Amino acid sequence: MPCGQKTVVFHQAGFSLPGLSMKTFAELSFPGRLIAVEGLDGSGKSTQIYLLKRWLELQELKVYFSEWNSSELVKSATSKGKKRELLTPTTFSLIHATDFADRYERHLVPLLRAGYIVLCDRYIFTAFARDVVRGCPPEWVRGIYNFAALPDLTFFFKSDLEVSLKRILDGRPQLKYFEAGMDLRLSADPYESFRIFQGRILEQYLAMSTEFNFLVVDANQLVEKQQAVVRELVTQRLDLASFHRAERLPAKSPAEPHRKAKEEEPVE
Amino acid sequence: MKGVANNHIVVPRRSERRFYGHGIPGVDLEQLAGKLIVVEGADGSGRSTQIARLVEWLEGSGHATVQVGLKRSTLVSEELEQAQEGNILSRTTLSLFYATDFADQLENIILPALKAGFVVLADRYIYTLMARDMVRGMDETWLKNLYGLALEPDAVFYLNVPPEELVQRTFAKNAALDYWESGMDQGLSRDLFDSFMKYQTAMQKTFRRLQSSYGFTIVDGMRPADVINAELRKKISAVLAGK
Repeated sequence: MPCGQKTVVFHQAGFSLPGLSMKTFAELSFPGRLIAVEGLDGSGKSTQIYLLKRWLELQELKVYFSEWNSSELVKSATSKGKKRELLTPTTFSLIHATDFADRYERHLVPLLRAGYIVLCDRYIFTAFARDVVRGCPPEWVRGIYNFAALPDLTFFFKSDLEVSLKRILDGRPQLKYFEAGMDLRLSADPYESFRIFQGRILEQYLAMSTEFNFLVVDANQLVEKQQAVVRELVTQRLDLASFHRAERLPAKSPAEPHRKAKEEEPVE
Repeated sequence: MKGVANNHIVVPRRSERRFYGHGIPGVDLEQLAGKLIVVEGADGSGRSTQIARLVEWLEGSGHATVQVGLKRSTLVSEELEQAQEGNILSRTTLSLFYATDFADQLENIILPALKAGFVVLADRYIYTLMARDMVRGMDETWLKNLYGLALEPDAVFYLNVPPEELVQRTFAKNAALDYWESGMDQGLSRDLFDSFMKYQTAMQKTFRRLQSSYGFTIVDGMRPADVINAELRKKISAVLAGK
């Protein structure tokens, strides 16, 4: 850590690692449940959460999907920062935290209050891993995210570094600056930089695995095998029947009756 | 201006530097030769008048200056403005957005200027941001951790003006109270005037609380601008002399 040694820690007395005191949505008595997936770029986690979403939707359950770094409000600032390479480890961390807070407060929490199963492609652990690799103090990063509750289930897709590197590097030869961790000056070669960067993120994930009860899925297996494991665990841990959409009038009435109803309305 | 015709230029003494908490990764505090002076206070407390005069005085005395303020970063100031207009951000989001704006200016303007030996004048700093959030019920420990990234200034002056006077000064200038400066997002009162008074009173209380942690100088903002400026100059001279 480049910092932390020279600085004086101020007002930190009695400040425990927030991870230890954080609770899951179930523990906080929310009717909804949050399922997060984490893993390296190229671990296949997005495919897995998509298949999980489809499976839940086909059972007519209340499902909402949210992706890391997707808040409309913060998007223009993030993309400007990335394009112009304006971001430092600190502002990179803060702008992602802003994005997360916006989605958390405006979408995730209200939906969880309304009894939804919320699926998150990446959650706070992505920040814990990436920001720390970028040199931000771990306690600082965790402290910032401690307004968020923990997922009820966190799947960690554990792939061999070489497997995920190959998936990314085969499909998308053009690596982006921050994606490759080029801001860390690990190597002048984007591919080499990406390798080192991803390796360090993997170390961070593995270090968090026990602390945050990650459900580790072997991501070197076939898609179907992984999905079977995911569905099995979700069925075991969640009472899926309780998330059924309530029977109610269809949102859109068929064209024919709708027109009729209109004709019957009094004319001004 | 008075007191400018002076050939003697004071070379600022080095002072001990620290971040409030974890700070910014990779910054060598020893290299920050300049001085960071913060002027805090509500809108209408006379901050800009005082800062403009201080700049003139400092430059006349041979010091290079840089000015920073809230919501002026290249990274997020426009987006923050837009978001605020729509009033759609929830409190943690708004708080973090402001922190991003602050961190961007800290890293890209304040720290480089201090490294180059400039006197940096900050028109508000983390204290306003913290006070606004605390009034809105955010956790103080959370805020202290977040703003542990900030550098401790060489001096912080809080221009204290009671809400009754702030309201008069605002009307003398604008004939309208600002939505955010009146804390209208909080539903304290539907009446803009009532809300302004309640909000500004709460802000002052919070500033006094922060004063006990961060130890800034409270300046009586009810006196004439010249008198206030003379006091600030005297105190800043002492800072430059390393006292």
